Amino acid sequence: MSDESKPAPGGLLNGLETQKTRRVNEAARSLHPSAVKDLLSLGVCERCILRLVTVTATFDSDLATVSSSTLRGWLGSGVEEAASPEPSICIVCLGVLQFVFSDAKQTLVKSDHVAWITDLVKQQGHEFDSFVLEVSLPSTISENERAVLLYLKGKYSDEAWLQSEKVSVKDALKVLVLDPLRASLGAKSDSSSFHIRLTYSQASDEAQGLSETKHERKKRKTDEENGSNCMSENPFKKVSEPCILSVHCNKMPIFFGGRYFKYSRNVSQSRWIIDDERMGEASVEEIIGGSILPACLGDSYKFHAAGREDIDVRMLGSGRPFLIEVQNSRKCPSQQSLTEIEEKINNSEKKLVGVKDLKFIGSECWAMMREGEAEKQKQYAALVWISRPLEEEDCNSVSSMKELKILQKTPIRVLHRRSQLERERTIHWMKVEKIKGNAHYFLLHLCTQAGTYIKEFVHGDLGRTTPSMGSILGCRAEIIQLDVTDVKMGDS
Amino acid sequence: MEETQNIDVTKNPEAEDAIESTKQKQSEEVEHHCDEQQKQSQEEDELRKLLLSDIEELPLSPPSATQLNFVSYFITDFTKPGHDHYIYRHANGLCVIGLAPTHRAFKDQGGITNIDFNVGKSDRSVLKVSGKRKKNAMRSESNTALCKVSTANDSYIVRCCVKGSLLEVNERLMKQPQLLNSSADREGYIAIIMPRPADWTKNKESLITLEEYKEKKQDILLEPYFSDIPHLRRLALMSDLSSRIVSQIEYYFRRIRAMTDDIHLILRSMGSSTTVEVQVNS
Repeated sequence: MSDESKPAPGGLLNGLETQKTRRVNEAARSLHPSAVKDLLSLGVCERCILRLVTVTATFDSDLATVSSSTLRGWLGSGVEEAASPEPSICIVCLGVLQFVFSDAKQTLVKSDHVAWITDLVKQQGHEFDSFVLEVSLPSTISENERAVLLYLKGKYSDEAWLQSEKVSVKDALKVLVLDPLRASLGAKSDSSSFHIRLTYSQASDEAQGLSETKHERKKRKTDEENGSNCMSENPFKKVSEPCILSVHCNKMPIFFGGRYFKYSRNVSQSRWIIDDERMGEASVEEIIGGSILPACLGDSYKFHAAGREDIDVRMLGSGRPFLIEVQNSRKCPSQQSLTEIEEKINNSEKKLVGVKDLKFIGSECWAMMREGEAEKQKQYAALVWISRPLEEEDCNSVSSMKELKILQKTPIRVLHRRSQLERERTIHWMKVEKIKGNAHYFLLHLCTQAGTYIKEFVHGDLGRTTPSMGSILGCRAEIIQLDVTDVKMGDS
Repeated sequence: MEETQNIDVTKNPEAEDAIESTKQKQSEEVEHHCDEQQKQSQEEDELRKLLLSDIEELPLSPPSATQLNFVSYFITDFTKPGHDHYIYRHANGLCVIGLAPTHRAFKDQGGITNIDFNVGKSDRSVLKVSGKRKKNAMRSESNTALCKVSTANDSYIVRCCVKGSLLEVNERLMKQPQLLNSSADREGYIAIIMPRPADWTKNKESLITLEEYKEKKQDILLEPYFSDIPHLRRLALMSDLSSRIVSQIEYYFRRIRAMTDDIHLILRSMGSSTTVEVQVNS
């Protein structure tokens, strides 16, 4: 009957192909003939028939090699259908397994489906060598399938092929499309961070179609419970419009990490905008993220840092660890380009922000951030003014205080957005550095527990932080400027 | 060191090589360690330069955190003459309420001796505000009683002056009421209230600025009171001195007082009845 059943000249591959087609052929012929005839006349497509009426569900991967029309030929020996130029759209899979679909403008796509999908994937510009295929189908398809199976059960109850587990339309599509796509894109399809999603959606006027309304579904459920099948009341309507297929690619977020320095007292850590006005001159987040995003050709970025500092506090010393998360990147920049980005930021004219050790981080990124969070110690240098001249014994008494416990009530400057709590914190050590020629000022170096408010520790926050620098020295104290000199993380 | 080398030369040339190479490695390590130390101290030097880079001219008395972050308002003769309060409003909307230097309570000899938060319907000092949304905060009107301060002769009701949620009262005052006398504008604050933006806009109309307050209360500010320290504070207000300078003056004033006490002791021990007095002139 068909040419494909004769072994084509030359090649083991062709031999394999013909083995597959022979298997499909055999399976097709072994189907229950009247069931097949029934379904064909209802308007179910060949592949769906094979799916629903077969006993063994394992050979669908071979189906990919057999065209629709050939299958029809094998199935229907003796069916009176005059080969219609364009077979009608399947009432179960709505054309999905027939590779009949429209594009976004609802125009029927005439070209080969694999080529069309490949084109759309390439348009989105991702660099990839492997992908994961995701398929999203309208819910009416499973309802259609259930309706047809119910109908079959009514007519051919107790047949063996009715009892077996059916391959779903989604799985069937994946199996049919995966190999050709793999070949066409030149990529593997194992676990990957790059996802290609095929979304089928119904043309709006077909939204009713074969599916039941909620009311009908409830009625059917209760009727089933009562032991009656009501499907015979609803004739299977024809499907006039195919589904609309859209292809969307998404790459899982990638991470870059490093340490940043903040040299300016007018730069906030993250973008800070109040009433359409930006606070500060720039932000660390935008400077670093804005340089990395274009190199990745991504959609957007998120900035995460291990802690934060006020806008008027500089971040010096060994820098603060940070992560940049890039959404849907199209390409991953090499270490070389990362180094160039780092240099560009460090050598910029304004010298607001510095970066160190910028590199690509894998899945260990969050562990890196969480590392030693509770035990994190921070080191600061504060310029302090006191209302009386500094004396020698002040330096000694301050340096001798180790592991000083202080109680801090929530500072007034954050009390509007944080809970009213009393927090106990530890100042691990302090050191006074005198400033030549000025007895009212000194540089206070201190190492504190994470979460300590340094400014409030110096000026006492109206007495709500005790002890404070003022109470220790027995006078008024004010903080003029503050710098972070070290953020200790676990091992580094 | 050298002795071992000699012995090894005679015994085992291979061992000697091994020892030579480890010695070399050791000295390399020491060098490397020196390099690292150098690098570290270099980095520390750079850090220090950065830390001190902004220190060009340090003002004798810089503005305080209160002055920088708060805007000062005053309300005078609130519900009764002589009941003057300050309201320091932070950029985030929170208001710190307290007694202004011209409050009648400071006129009484001995100043304020006691404070009681149990006024009105509840004890203000036991309220506990929880969470970011400040649940259980007492909602107050501007004339809601906040506390009662007592002096030797009299007692005065202090009111909220601002309509809003009462977030906190200064419980330290209960154990240390003298904070009100020594630093009513800082550690002696009475309460923190959070007004709603709409309420604040309305409230603001009845408040006056620092300049207006100084003008209005000029006479009282110049009156000598019994306690010296608030007097100095009032002087500072009048003379436009930053109140930071006042605290500096206070410190030296106390030092001088202590010294005069010492001088008195010496004079007594010498059998003299001479007295030393220190006067502060405005």
